[in-house]
Amino acid sequence: MNRRLTQLVLALLAALTVLGLVSSPANALADLSFKVRVQDQTKDDNGKSSKTPVPGVTITVLDEAGAVVVQGVTDAQGEVLLLIGPRGNYTVVLDESTLPEGFALTEQTPAERAVIGEDSRTDTITINYFTGKASRASIGWWSQMAQRLADGARLGLILAMCSVGLSLIFGTTGLTNFAHGELVTMGAMVAYLLSVTWNFMPLLVAIPIAVVIGGLLGLGFDGVVFGPLRKRKIGLVSQLVVSVGLSILLKNFVLSRFGGRTKQFTDYNQQTNIKLGPIGITPRDLITSIVSLVVLLLVAVTLTKSRIGKATRAVSDNPDLASSTGIDSQKIIRIVWFVGGALAALGGIFRGLDEGLTAFMGSDLIFLMFAGITLGGLGSAYGALVGGFIVGLFVEVSTLGFPIFPEGWPRPLSYLHDGVPTELKNVPALLALVVILLVRPQGILGQKERVG
Amino acid sequence: MIAYSLDWNNVAVASLSAFFGVNAMYYAIAAIGLNVQFGYAGLLNFGQAGFMACGAYALGMTSHYFGISLWWGILLGVVYAVGLGLIMGIPTLRLRADYLAIVTIALAEVVRLTVRSVSFKTYYNGSDGINGFAEEFRQVTPFNQSGRYELSPFADSVSTGGAIALWVAFVLTALLFGMMTAQKLKSRKSWPLVPVWLASAAAYLGLLLAISTKLIYPGLQFKSITVGWVIVAILGWLVWLLMRSPWGRVLKGIREDEEAVRSLGKSVYSYKMQALILGGVIATFAGMMLSLDRGSVQPDNYSRDVTFFVLTALVLGGAAKVSGSIVGPMLFWGVLAFTDVFLNELYKAWGNNISIFGIELIASPSQIGQFQQMLVGAMLILLMVFRPQGLFGNRKEMALDGR
Repeated sequence: MNRRLTQLVLALLAALTVLGLVSSPANALADLSFKVRVQDQTKDDNGKSSKTPVPGVTITVLDEAGAVVVQGVTDAQGEVLLLIGPRGNYTVVLDESTLPEGFALTEQTPAERAVIGEDSRTDTITINYFTGKASRASIGWWSQMAQRLADGARLGLILAMCSVGLSLIFGTTGLTNFAHGELVTMGAMVAYLLSVTWNFMPLLVAIPIAVVIGGLLGLGFDGVVFGPLRKRKIGLVSQLVVSVGLSILLKNFVLSRFGGRTKQFTDYNQQTNIKLGPIGITPRDLITSIVSLVVLLLVAVTLTKSRIGKATRAVSDNPDLASSTGIDSQKIIRIVWFVGGALAALGGIFRGLDEGLTAFMGSDLIFLMFAGITLGGLGSAYGALVGGFIVGLFVEVSTLGFPIFPEGWPRPLSYLHDGVPTELKNVPALLALVVILLVRPQGILGQKERVG
Repeated sequence: MIAYSLDWNNVAVASLSAFFGVNAMYYAIAAIGLNVQFGYAGLLNFGQAGFMACGAYALGMTSHYFGISLWWGILLGVVYAVGLGLIMGIPTLRLRADYLAIVTIALAEVVRLTVRSVSFKTYYNGSDGINGFAEEFRQVTPFNQSGRYELSPFADSVSTGGAIALWVAFVLTALLFGMMTAQKLKSRKSWPLVPVWLASAAAYLGLLLAISTKLIYPGLQFKSITVGWVIVAILGWLVWLLMRSPWGRVLKGIREDEEAVRSLGKSVYSYKMQALILGGVIATFAGMMLSLDRGSVQPDNYSRDVTFFVLTALVLGGAAKVSGSIVGPMLFWGVLAFTDVFLNELYKAWGNNISIFGIELIASPSQIGQFQQMLVGAMLILLMVFRPQGLFGNRKEMALDGR
């Protein structure tokens, strides 16, 4: 039975690999051009930004020697297409004096930008500039907080979904799986492949198929890599290092097949916010959040009520004891890998709908996933749910400062008042991980273990 | 279009030069540090890139932020590394091994995010990195910065004095390697020592001379390569001495059986902390040598992949062996440089495409880099599964287990 299953999974994996290989995008070495887009980002009352084009801005492109290659002015759409010529490295300069009165470039998009087009896979490189009006409408702190909480809950639900498998796998096999992020990425990429690249089916149909394939990938991880290692009684630390290798291998496989640019699903892509009290949210995000919540509740109920769920918790608690009471722990481990992979794929798809798809989306999330399951208690399934959710909230809320702290403290203490800049928003969560381990290493729901 | 034919000489020069090149050099320093932690003490430090960034940014900040001499950077780097080691170690070293892995990787990421952020640009200059601080190091050099250096005693560009020095170095190296081989062979079979020694020394000398014609380095890199390998030799020697000392034996004991060492009354926590910090301080020198060679500090040179690559290089050579931590990075970069240049040549020779059985494997130069990294991943998996002791290690010493 086991053998046949493994063979099946292997065959599926092989098929998927070949399909992925064939889907390699063709390479055309045509002339390079830059599409420069200048947009004004204004935040509305809820802190959600809307973008309006800025016309009439002069853009200059310089080559490496500093000579002007081409110059252009943005049109009514705030865009200008500049034909550059051969691939190479260029500098794009926005003439700030041509910006409309009262507009200034944001800190994230300086006027002078180096563009490395040497081995660009696309012929057109898009360069975005964002401006903000000099004075911004002030938004009430409480409605900002409500918006951050909503965003955080959304991220938290996705994190929880991605980390259930990670935590259960740790609980049942002892493996700290650094390649779990790749299950997230690959699940999302399979959905992209089915619905966009090949255009076989609408995304709504592709999602369940991708989730099942994600589960099979999880099974494949176990059947091809970690199962045999377990059987050979290879140490857990060695298995951990193997999972690191697997993560590097798969991440770069995805990168080489899909390229380095951020991809978007074509369905449900452009949506406008609807208002729920002080919170602005797109219908898509609302639905994915509800679906995530339902799925997570289902997982929790299954773990508490069903036979398999109870058996899973038993194996997670003490594998030897569980085996001696007649539970087939190998079967439970396979189920955990399947469910973990499937949930990671679903989380990846939802994340991709929200933030776009890249080859790094999973490995960027894995830090937060680890923070979540450590907070919840390594190996505890409920812990992963709670921990992931709290970490998600924490990441988003930390970008909002608290006015009760005085202004003007030196950085980084000033972040208590101003909020953490978006580029550093993962940092407080990662530092919180250190503090949790210091204060309560077993996490919120974990069992105390005698160590050191 | 003229058909491009594969240039084997180019492939050979690039891959053999990489054995002793800058990358192998700074990876070797980082691997010596990681070996103290992972190889000897069994600590899974996944934040080596963070320690390397400490060294690099300490040097960069001397001119960018403090406006002091470059040499203060060494002290500053060590201070940073000790600080980072304490933050990583205090919460985790009492816990199971995987907690350390998670925290070290997370904190190295915190370091990278902080140094590349716009918010801390005044200190670290954001994603542009810090440039032009290495002149103080570069200016003092006996080498012609724009020249090319060939390391063969037969090369035209080598002076008589240089040729004699190379001959002496080659003969001594061959004799040393020959002795090591002879002793190894003697311990297996009862072969006479001296004839085997001389024969294998002659073989090594021939190999060195053959390889040396392909060792070519630009003059600008030549100083950092020389200084770097001297540092590798000194650090390797110190670590070798340290691991033979009682302190080193306790460390190995912790790796094998923590409880046993604890029951002997040793403070396991304190020993682990010392190992973590020592390895981290060694790694700062890797970051310093890299930034001195490039003349710049780039935040993305210290991503988590660097840590994993150093780990792969160490496992390839063999953990818990000083020789493994030095030869591993050399081989690692030899293999990487070979695949890089070979695939690039093949790509050009086959008309800007590599396909096998109609399946397009590589369609653009950037895919070559990704293919290389996939190779590293596969290498790490296969090594851990089939030869965890690497090339030089002892299988008994690599029976790692976290639980």
